[in-house]
Amino acid sequence: MDDPALWHRFQFAFTITYHYLFPQLTMGLVWFLVYWKWRAWRHGDERAAAASRFWARILGLTFAVGVVTGIPMEFQFGTNWGAFSKYAGGVIGQTLAMEGMFAFLFESAFIGALIYGEARLGPKRHFFAALGVAAGSWLSAYFILVTNAFMQHPVGYLVAADGSLAIGDIGAYLFNSWALVEFAHNQAAALVTGAFAVTAVGAFYSLRNAWRDQARLYLNHGTLAALAAALLVAFPTGDAQAKMVARHQEPALAAMEGRFESGPMAEITLIGQPNVKARRLDNPIKIPGMLSFLAYGTFHADVRGLDAFPQDQWPGNIELLYYAFHVMAGLGTMFIGLMALANLQRFRGRLEASRLLLWVLMLAFPFPFIANTAGWMTAELGRQPWLVYGLFRTQDGISDVVSSGDVLFTLIGMAGLYFVLGLLYLYMVGREIHHGPGPASVGAAHG
Amino acid sequence: MVEVWFLLLGLTVMLFAVLDGWNIGAGALHLIAARTRAERRDIVTALGPMWSWHEVWLIAFGGTFLLAFPGVMTAAFSGFYLALWMVLWSFIMRGISLEVGGHIDDALWQTWWDFVFAISSLVLAVLFGAALGNVIRGVPIDGSGKFSMSLFTHFGVRGRVGILDWYTLSVAVLTTVLLSAHGALYLRLKTTGPVHDRSERLARGLWMLALVLFAAVSAETWIVRPGLYSAMLARPAAWLAIAVAIAGAGAVATGLRGTAELRAFAGSCAVIVGLLGGAAAGIFPVMLHSTLAPEHSITAYGGAAARHGLAIALVWWPIAFGLAWIYFFLVMRNFAGKIPVGSDPPSRPHGLNAKVTKITSVPKKTF
Repeated sequence: MDDPALWHRFQFAFTITYHYLFPQLTMGLVWFLVYWKWRAWRHGDERAAAASRFWARILGLTFAVGVVTGIPMEFQFGTNWGAFSKYAGGVIGQTLAMEGMFAFLFESAFIGALIYGEARLGPKRHFFAALGVAAGSWLSAYFILVTNAFMQHPVGYLVAADGSLAIGDIGAYLFNSWALVEFAHNQAAALVTGAFAVTAVGAFYSLRNAWRDQARLYLNHGTLAALAAALLVAFPTGDAQAKMVARHQEPALAAMEGRFESGPMAEITLIGQPNVKARRLDNPIKIPGMLSFLAYGTFHADVRGLDAFPQDQWPGNIELLYYAFHVMAGLGTMFIGLMALANLQRFRGRLEASRLLLWVLMLAFPFPFIANTAGWMTAELGRQPWLVYGLFRTQDGISDVVSSGDVLFTLIGMAGLYFVLGLLYLYMVGREIHHGPGPASVGAAHG
Repeated sequence: MVEVWFLLLGLTVMLFAVLDGWNIGAGALHLIAARTRAERRDIVTALGPMWSWHEVWLIAFGGTFLLAFPGVMTAAFSGFYLALWMVLWSFIMRGISLEVGGHIDDALWQTWWDFVFAISSLVLAVLFGAALGNVIRGVPIDGSGKFSMSLFTHFGVRGRVGILDWYTLSVAVLTTVLLSAHGALYLRLKTTGPVHDRSERLARGLWMLALVLFAAVSAETWIVRPGLYSAMLARPAAWLAIAVAIAGAGAVATGLRGTAELRAFAGSCAVIVGLLGGAAAGIFPVMLHSTLAPEHSITAYGGAAARHGLAIALVWWPIAFGLAWIYFFLVMRNFAGKIPVGSDPPSRPHGLNAKVTKITSVPKKTF
């Protein structure tokens, strides 16, 4: 409680975690819509048109919650993280403003047209509206990830006379190698979320013996996309991300693996509980040499443990970082296994007859949300104790004029508001799923 | 360079005030201009599919503020902490009410969301007015270059002021009336039937009231920030802004007397642009005036980002700005014209009612 940054950190962590549940689904789903709209326009595919109408309703709700929960994020840079924004605003202001000016104004222009404009626009322009939302939301993600990448691995900046940061090389900043890898990894993971959602609804209808045609479409496209995306999350993007952490955030890598002592032939830990006080991992099950290989490409490479770094450079919450990483990596591996099995059954024409597998696919949809969240916790906890890695500490970033009481007040307010919002979202989406995709002609009934 | 960015930042504020201003104003009048559930759906329909695009100009403002004036943005946002969070909560509630209100065709459901929409819009109008009042009156910045303000203190305008005092409250009332009048003219332009007629009557009354309040607030400003008018007199930009506002007021007056609905509405936009422009021209270069000691005030020059960054952004920002308007017109071409009475609101998935009836006709065994 004596940490003045505590409630600021809680509030940002809570609002960003909650917010990101929605954009990851939007960014994953929207490419299904683009594809189905393409089918509807170029091939007159009525089944794809009906699917796109149904999912556009769910996308619309998800997008709306994403927008309203996203508004506070940008403002928190000023309200809660004033010292940080004053320090780094000359750099990160570029991409935060770019996001608003290029991406938000772009996607918000097309989302209304996508969701309510089918009858007015016709199939061709409606396809382009879908493409606009897809491009806009992914562009928005890129600008945010460039901002985050700067905090993880600052490049392209200058230090001004007053000690604050200014943009030096805008190209280096915008195409930060960390940003490119992080974007690929994160967007593939968003596709996993979208594909699991499509698959789950397909499995649900299939198990209920409802909307057979639509269910088959969702299962076919959902499982295929999910397998492809889950593989991409692991390789090459996840692998590249891990190597990036190994190169630029060594203490984070050590903490993620619960590695307290340096040495060659570093093991990867499958399971175990970090005991920070005793500086060891309890009950570990490990694969020798694997971490050395994954991080540096050879089994004998030396991987430094936390003992190689002064304690004031250790991530603040090693236990949570360790678990976040293992939950993410564990779930990611299971996604590949599950979807490989689903695709195998699909090629054998047995998927819709495998009721047990359909049950698993239906109930699996929350796990990509958990994996994405755990992945972000890994990135952000691993960055600690730095706000801008190696340059600026988290504890120095807060708005010191804002009292803890004020922050807790708004945090409680946000928690209540977001709880209600979550209930509302689940109710509305549940209602859409219960009503189902409907006959193909419905979407054009009103203008 | 700093002057250009002050202008561009002012542009985002004006765009937000004009564009989202009519949504906020129409929302504040929501329960008055429309009496039945169907009429209230007409208002939501009239706001159209672009309300989120309007709202995004606030995000554009926030981003541009941080980009160009990090020193001012961080001082202002952390200083106005609680008020800003109330703005954010109101935005969330308003966005949700617009999105989900039309989704379910049920009297209780829609009554609730209509109420939420009206209250959150009203709160936003009041808070934006108070914000404007605070910028003109000044804030208690001390030697550290920061300030922290309670929502209210002694309701006086000197020394350790709060966000709300007699002056900022009167600016808030004026802003609320003005945005409502703006919203009424928008509804008059976009609707037909009883909502149209009521909006027209409301617009006449609200514009008269706005005129009276404006005179009163102008006199108050003389007391609160004495230097403002002399600074305005010395600046051609302020003269231009005043001319725009007066021309706008003329267009509103003639447009309201006759049937020139578009002219009245355009005039209303001009009034808002002119008033904000005049205020901005008057306060420049001070962005946050200190009520404690003038030397603690934060100026645009003092709070701006480094020159190189501003120069880079000056390349991409206008491109993004132009593109935003191209999308806007591309989409709006398809949503032009009056909303007929009782038409399907855009924030309802098309054919939901039709779908519900169709669902009930689906044989039980398929579901």
